[in-house]
Amino acid sequence: MNDAPVLLQATGLTKDFTTRGDGVFRARTTRFRAVDEVGFAVRAGETLGIVGESGSGKSTTARMIAKLIEPTAGTITFDGEDVTTARGPALAAFRTKVQVVFQDPFSSLNPRHTVERIVSAPLDYQGITPKQGKRALVRDLLDRVGLNPDHLQRYPRQFSGGQAQRIGIARALAVSPKLVICDEAVSALDVSVQARIIDLLRDLQAERGLSYLFIAHDLAVVRQIAHDVAVMHRGKVVEQGDREAIFDHPQEEYTKTLLAAVPTIDPSWEAARATMLEQERTHGSTAGRTEA
Amino acid sequence: MSPTVTRTISLPVPGAALLEVDDLSVTFPTTSGDVDVVRKASFAVQHGQTLGIVGESGSGKSMTSLAIMGLLPNGGRTTGSVRLSGHELVGRSDREMRRVRGDRIAMVFQDPLSSLNPYYTVGLQIEEAYRAHRGGSRKAARAVTIEALERVRIADASRRVDHYPHQFSGGMRQRIMIAMALCLEPDLLIADEPTTALDVTVQAQILDLLSELQRETGTGMIFITHDLAVVSQVADDVLVMRGGDPVEMGTAEQIFSRPQAPYTRALLDALPRIDDPFSERPTAPATTGEGRA
Amino acid sequence: MTLYLLRRIASAIGILLLISLFTYAIFFLLSPDPAVQICGKTCTPDRIDQIRAQLGLDQPFWQQYLEFIRGIVMGRSYGEGASAVSCAAPCLGFSFQTNESVMDMITARFPVTATVAIGAAVLWLLVGVSGGLLSAVKQGTGWDRGAMMVALAGISLPNYFLALLLQYVLVVQLQILPFPQAVPFAEDPVRWFQNYLMPWIVLALGYASMYARLVRSNVIDTLGENFMRTARAKGLPAPLILRRHALRPALTPVVTLFGMDFAGLLGGALITETVFGLNGVGKLAADSIAKNDQPVIMGVTLLAAFFVVIGNVVVDVAYTFLDPRVRVKSA
Repeated sequence: MNDAPVLLQATGLTKDFTTRGDGVFRARTTRFRAVDEVGFAVRAGETLGIVGESGSGKSTTARMIAKLIEPTAGTITFDGEDVTTARGPALAAFRTKVQVVFQDPFSSLNPRHTVERIVSAPLDYQGITPKQGKRALVRDLLDRVGLNPDHLQRYPRQFSGGQAQRIGIARALAVSPKLVICDEAVSALDVSVQARIIDLLRDLQAERGLSYLFIAHDLAVVRQIAHDVAVMHRGKVVEQGDREAIFDHPQEEYTKTLLAAVPTIDPSWEAARATMLEQERTHGSTAGRTEA
Repeated sequence: MSPTVTRTISLPVPGAALLEVDDLSVTFPTTSGDVDVVRKASFAVQHGQTLGIVGESGSGKSMTSLAIMGLLPNGGRTTGSVRLSGHELVGRSDREMRRVRGDRIAMVFQDPLSSLNPYYTVGLQIEEAYRAHRGGSRKAARAVTIEALERVRIADASRRVDHYPHQFSGGMRQRIMIAMALCLEPDLLIADEPTTALDVTVQAQILDLLSELQRETGTGMIFITHDLAVVSQVADDVLVMRGGDPVEMGTAEQIFSRPQAPYTRALLDALPRIDDPFSERPTAPATTGEGRA
Repeated sequence: MTLYLLRRIASAIGILLLISLFTYAIFFLLSPDPAVQICGKTCTPDRIDQIRAQLGLDQPFWQQYLEFIRGIVMGRSYGEGASAVSCAAPCLGFSFQTNESVMDMITARFPVTATVAIGAAVLWLLVGVSGGLLSAVKQGTGWDRGAMMVALAGISLPNYFLALLLQYVLVVQLQILPFPQAVPFAEDPVRWFQNYLMPWIVLALGYASMYARLVRSNVIDTLGENFMRTARAKGLPAPLILRRHALRPALTPVVTLFGMDFAGLLGGALITETVFGLNGVGKLAADSIAKNDQPVIMGVTLLAAFFVVIGNVVVDVAYTFLDPRVRVKSA
């Protein structure tokens, strides 16, 4: 897993927020360091999960990588190029290669735009005309993410949470990016829906060689999708490594505390359930029992 | 209100569970006809025990708790039976229910920041709950309040009692909500997604606190959540709900080790495990979630 | 807190200076030459020059403006020698048409304006807030809809129309009230009260309507807040919940709005005063505009601006007391 080439490299990323403070003419300012010298790498075709609690700086970090806010210091290298201060055509090129899926589909999708318009918008902004035509591409994408292509003209509010998030994913895929930043992309979804979206993301990764920068607070979710994990706390990366290392052999105190705090189902119960399911498979299921 | 106000619902009927719910249904009138948000839910809560109600969004779990409290919004109708220590609650006037709320059944909600009035100190908000049911002087109520805050481990309680909600962190605000709920020593505590908005480390602390307080006071609890793992840790009994219907009920051990209903099984299969290695198999089985609309 | 106050006052002074500059510039550029006006019909160019020198109109704009500002702070005099006219601080100008300092004219009329403003304010607060509150609590009922329709009418009706209508109905037709006539309070309190009643009603109606709608929507919003649900879950009695938990969040924005509205009224309610013949600052402004008495118009404008800016500062500071979340950090 560690031989895949590095697609995105962040080094020494720092973000300070300054607020005008006290003093007669607001001279004294307070500086809040949200992200402090953070570095990590996302490999081609793989997922880096960044986990942390509120205030850890993970969302701010994601926004810097997405180039939605400017870092105070540090560098971002994508595909070998330094994109930290990219502007104009370089920035436009960056945006065709890096896309974002946000947490709440109902506030990140324009409720007054049709699905077609939403999904094809990046194509318009980038000035890309797909070979098969925009509409055909949009239909393809909707189909691929598990939506009905005939729903092109519907509005986001006519979809459920999970379906709306799929629209967001389709939109992210429209320009065929190399890296998709998922900023708490499944956090607002029900458990079963969440699972299907995670599956979708994994399938897309396998098909298209996509890389993901997956931001989440839910460790269990990150376990399902990330190859490498970085743990953030109060603006710093406290520990990072591949999935097994972090989850099975955490080194830092904070990581251990975080993992210990995650509620889990009693393993003996899990084992009993597994046994029961296994027995049903081999001996045929005891007909769908009592719905209380 | 004088401290000796008669509480008609005080003497428990012998043999009764703390809370017995039979065929509870909640209906809302809408412009396109009546909508059932809860359909014939039945369950019981024993003294000192915790019932976990688990379900996804739209399952009706929150509405069930609001129906028990008589706090349904906007024209919601409750049918069925809800008996607290043997005394029927459904159909009681709002005035009678007001005596029950806070005093016999207390509630803790999901978002502690918006659940507290930002214009008043936390001390006042706890005191008023106490005084509304027990009467007495402000001084006495304040003493009770400070003690309640100390019990939920708010440091420097005698000073912080005069602070405003926005001056506390999320976890501390939830402790304040718990203090407010327990200061009257209710028989039953309903916690509606109390830790959903909190960080996982804070959640662990709050869950510990709740179980400790429950052991100390013998309060029964209904714990509502969408998080199966949390429910498995806190609940003695579990009720699974989906789309307003009760799906399955049993002890925690039964539900988690021998789930019978397909929906319950599907939910458990879909739950991401922190100790489960990244596998090639899909995380979601085919029976849940949405298909193409 | 004191730092915040100092900052606000400093910025208020800055704003007032800016307004004064702007206003002065407008009058400077747009008004006809006052010297010509004062001179009158029998005018010679020499006479005009003489007047201009006396008024200091031959100086460049900046100097005139600075003279004006100096006058506000320290007082000034117009002209030289025997025909010099002195104007005590704060000198907002001198009216050569009436031969009085603008400040004197304003102070003579201010009590009337203040009476109109205060009376109307009391009325509109009582009616508007309680009406809005009642509407919110009885949302959707006949009372609510009726009240909101009345409020809509109140906002839509122009002041002058309402004033004339009221006079016609109450004085002429029904003869409940006597025709408005200026009477000092000490002389005849009843008559004094009757005199002001209609202006109060006219002025209050528009504001009351606005406030009723605002209070209604604020209270409805507040009633839907999560902390209301908590209050109910605690078993608090309904009146307490309304009084304590609903009113404070709902009315705090109203308090600040009131501060601004009231401050604005202190600058004079032009139309109402004119229609009812009340000799207040508003009527002074209206008359001066008709006569094109430039210094008075400018003086009244600046006064009105002064009240609004000060009102703004008061309201901002008040808000830090009213809303705990907005308290300026003090350790």
